[in-house]
Amino acid sequence: MTTVSWITARGLLGRRRFLLLFPLPVLLVGLAVLSRAAGVASTEWGLPVVHGLGLGVVLPVTALIVGTAVLGSEIDDGTLLHILTKPLPRWQIVLPKLLVAAGVTALTVALPLYVAGVLVESVRFGLGLAAAGAVGALAYSAFFLALSLLTRRPVLLGLVYVLIWEGLLNNIVSGTRVLSVQHYVVTLTDRIAPTALLDGSVSLPVAIVMSAVFTVGFTLLAIRRLGTFSVAGETS
Amino acid sequence: MTTLDAPQTDRPAGVIHDIGYQRYDGPRLGRRYLVGSLYLHSLRTAFGLGRTIKAKIFPWLIVGVVGVVAAVLTAVRAQTGEVALSYAEFPEVLSILIIFFCAIVGPELASRDLHSGVLPLYFARPLHRADYALVKLAALVSATFLMLAVPLTVMFAGAAFMVDGIGAVWDELGDFLPALGYVAVHAIVYSVLALLVASLVRRRAVAAGAIVGAFLLTSPVVAVLSVMPHEAANQLAGLASPVTLVGGIGDWTVEEVGDLDIGPYGPLYGLVAVGFVVAGILLLLARYRKVAAR
Repeated sequence: MTTVSWITARGLLGRRRFLLLFPLPVLLVGLAVLSRAAGVASTEWGLPVVHGLGLGVVLPVTALIVGTAVLGSEIDDGTLLHILTKPLPRWQIVLPKLLVAAGVTALTVALPLYVAGVLVESVRFGLGLAAAGAVGALAYSAFFLALSLLTRRPVLLGLVYVLIWEGLLNNIVSGTRVLSVQHYVVTLTDRIAPTALLDGSVSLPVAIVMSAVFTVGFTLLAIRRLGTFSVAGETS
Repeated sequence: MTTLDAPQTDRPAGVIHDIGYQRYDGPRLGRRYLVGSLYLHSLRTAFGLGRTIKAKIFPWLIVGVVGVVAAVLTAVRAQTGEVALSYAEFPEVLSILIIFFCAIVGPELASRDLHSGVLPLYFARPLHRADYALVKLAALVSATFLMLAVPLTVMFAGAAFMVDGIGAVWDELGDFLPALGYVAVHAIVYSVLALLVASLVRRRAVAAGAIVGAFLLTSPVVAVLSVMPHEAANQLAGLASPVTLVGGIGDWTVEEVGDLDIGPYGPLYGLVAVGFVVAGILLLLARYRKVAAR
């Protein structure tokens, strides 16, 4: 198990593509610092920075890149075969990969979210954002990891989910928020550190239960899927 | 048919028969034909024509959604007589779908050839590197333009039959033609950025993510800049993102009541957009001057 997570971490962090992840948190912190320095009331810029950029873009996009890369890149270059042929139960492959993906995402996202939260409101808000962001990172990672096993175009489908479902549809049809990780994160943050800035749009039990359902459900699905996985070349 | 003279010996030796192979020295279809075929092929690729059903799903999904929006708008206008969305607002409202379309088609056009390493085969022909880059860009611009302009034309056709009198039709035309130009501006600006990003990334999936990221990351910057305590900063905020950059041009030229506060900086928005497109094309050419030159 440790070997699989070690391989995954090295495959993730040892590539140039990983550097793509850095502009996002830097932009988040930079904008927060800039707005704070300009002396604008935090009620004005808090929402676009924390909700619009932080929870709306940085968290899902980071999770998407990392979550689809931990298994997806191995499927793409065929090295997954080497792990699959080892006498390991499938859950011992999926779980370490999920934990590495969630850990890396949580680290890259929680830190800038904490800084932004402190700059917007208080340390408590920053900690709330970081904690809720970590929960969101786990749920997103499980979802995108399962997606990379279910389809050949995981990034595109993940983008459809992030952009169309969470970005567009949630604002029009409020019922779709029950299936949106972003709103669980917002609700959790709002409960940990109540502010006027964010208001949870789904109830707390829904947020907790659905985050758990997302995480556990998609992990089980990924394990099942990996059990019947067939390695094939690129078709389309 | 002649045989080469065998060596002057008695025993029969191996001979090479000249069976009449000839060099082709007729007219050749040159660079222009190549450019034309590559353009047509790229445009077909954009919509997945001539490829499997899997390649058609995503582009036609977007085309379908845009078509449905146009049909609904036309139907609403026919039933209630209200114009829910003007022609110029049409591409602005659908900007997320345009981004998505570019993120799907751009990697299909650029990253695919990079990934499978076929560029040296292209460049072995009388096709210049600049031709290749510009043709791909033209194909992406045309595809995006078609994706928006056809539904817009449907809306116009519907409206033209609905209004009374030829004068009203002329008024409609007066709204429709500038909006068509505005759609073209959208197509050009979005495509340049999308193809530039796609030409830097070999894997299609990653390229799609990078394109969407490039568009989405910049919009919170606009949101933050527009609440700054300086009026000029607010009015120039739109320059920070391609989406609002194009929106600013729309407010300056085609729309009477703009939704962005751009103040007196309309011409600057136009200038920055031109600079953005020119810089994008130059970077694209520079990229293709170096790529696959190993």
